[in-house]
Amino acid sequence: MEKSNNRTPPLPWWAAGILLGLVQVLAIALVKPMGVSKQFVVADAKVLEHVAPEYSDNHPLLSDEQYKKFGYGWWFNIGIVLGAFLAALHLRVWKVRTVSAWWKRNHDAPVLLRLIAGFCGGVLLLLGARFAYGCITEHFIGGWTQLSLSAIPFTITLFGFGMLVAYLVYPKAPNRFRREE
Amino acid sequence: MSTPIVGLIMGVIFGASLVLTGLTNPDKIIGALRLKDFYAIRIVVVFLLVSMLGTLILDLFGAANFSIKPAVILTVLIGGALLGTGLGLTGFSPATGLASAASGRVDALVTVIGMIFGAHVYILIYPSIVIPLEKILNFGSVTLPEITGTSATLWIVPIFAVGSLILFITRSREPRYDEHRIKAGNSGINPAFPVPLGSISISGEKGLPLKSECLKAACVFRRWKNLLFLVLLLCLLLLQGTFWLVSTGQVEIAENTNTGMTVVLDADQAAAPAKESPSPWLFGFDMTFERLTSIVRITNIIIVLTSVLYVLILYFGMGVSFKGELGGLSHMCGALYMALIIFVLLLPWRNFFGPIAMGATYTPGELASWCTTDISDTLGMVLFYLRFTGYWALVMLLLLLAQWRSFRWAKAILR
Repeated sequence: MEKSNNRTPPLPWWAAGILLGLVQVLAIALVKPMGVSKQFVVADAKVLEHVAPEYSDNHPLLSDEQYKKFGYGWWFNIGIVLGAFLAALHLRVWKVRTVSAWWKRNHDAPVLLRLIAGFCGGVLLLLGARFAYGCITEHFIGGWTQLSLSAIPFTITLFGFGMLVAYLVYPKAPNRFRREE
Repeated sequence: MSTPIVGLIMGVIFGASLVLTGLTNPDKIIGALRLKDFYAIRIVVVFLLVSMLGTLILDLFGAANFSIKPAVILTVLIGGALLGTGLGLTGFSPATGLASAASGRVDALVTVIGMIFGAHVYILIYPSIVIPLEKILNFGSVTLPEITGTSATLWIVPIFAVGSLILFITRSREPRYDEHRIKAGNSGINPAFPVPLGSISISGEKGLPLKSECLKAACVFRRWKNLLFLVLLLCLLLLQGTFWLVSTGQVEIAENTNTGMTVVLDADQAAAPAKESPSPWLFGFDMTFERLTSIVRITNIIIVLTSVLYVLILYFGMGVSFKGELGGLSHMCGALYMALIIFVLLLPWRNFFGPIAMGATYTPGELASWCTTDISDTLGMVLFYLRFTGYWALVMLLLLLAQWRSFRWAKAILR
């Protein structure tokens, strides 16, 4: 299912890295380093504003002006979805998939479990991203790009926990990562 | 520029690049975290280095819009841990999760829904948990150069070194493209075509191992040749940059230049190009002529040694491709010839024959004496730039040509 997608990455690694780097440079030249995670809070803030206006008015975070409007960042996220959709269509890789090859190898492909793990992972991702004031693009790439101090502790725990959890959750490598391929 | 439409366009570009680079595939991320598949690691390293370099250049022109995150060590540590856990569990980061959901992954879609819930949890716990935590170990929005009081270059150089090291380490595990070609070539040749290229002297069982050995050696030579070319290129660029720094008066020439060559400077002449010397875009790195002198000297040594090695590598590459009958000899001869000319041009002839002959490399003393003599007439000006830039451009052109010819050679033999 994912074979064709996995075996032949659309771009060689160096071209991919340069492409992403140039996008980041463009973003820094035009507006600011790219960031994704804050807009999830903005979306929730919008909902809360309608559902519980007095709670959101007294909330120290939601009463902040930048969480109240759909601005550049919001449209940036919409753009990511749109661009990814178009690119996937263009590359003919748009396909409904539920499990990844690593998951299949380690957990015998129960779809429901994968979705539950995905949900829990999503909660942790955003919680972590907001605790650290930015997701991976924003804080790891952007942080090192700007040589900010906060990038150091972030990098340490991000990759420490990432590798640990990946080792615990995906102990076995799928066959296609072996050398004889 | 932070209008919605710019955001939308940037988002489209970023989302499309995420799909194009294949980072939306969670298998790549998990493979990277499990250190089995280095594709994503290498992308991220290049991504980081390119954006760092680009930001540096933007910063030179004052066009970079920084947004430094507050360094609240404790929450950043917790956040990194949570984010890492989520990343290791799902194989998505917030950005790739969005893009991946848009390319049809249901698990990514669920992750995005999870992220919306995560945002909600964050809002709920913000007043009671996050605000107290934010007060602990809060250093504010600072950068590493600010905290250590050093220049940004001092930080960027080791980061580049680490990045290159990572790229170097992860390189060996990947099956190399050339080796694939060699293997494919061998297995293709062995049963079907017993005698490759209709060779005369080498044949049968003895010839094939020799040919494949020669191909492997040629690959090694090619790799080293490219490395030496890069070093040579960087050194030449550095040398030219130094010249422009001095000639445009960004770096003033000190009065007591003990530069080896006999340079006699008048006091008022030396004082004439005195401007605010540490230019703003050197990140407060106090660039004095003494430092430039040592840079130029080291660069000269590296250039001359590298050019010797470059010529030798090309020579041995030619020998290997001759011995193994790999072809591409005409390209290699051209490259070798040009590399020899480069070598001859680069040698500091001035040291042997005095001012009548000079190489493309220059000593700091020479630079100082040229820059401090008052050039008013057109001829002197032309000579000045011809000597430092024209000569350099000639060497650069030859170097690029040599590299191009040897690239054709590599292409011919690895075909």
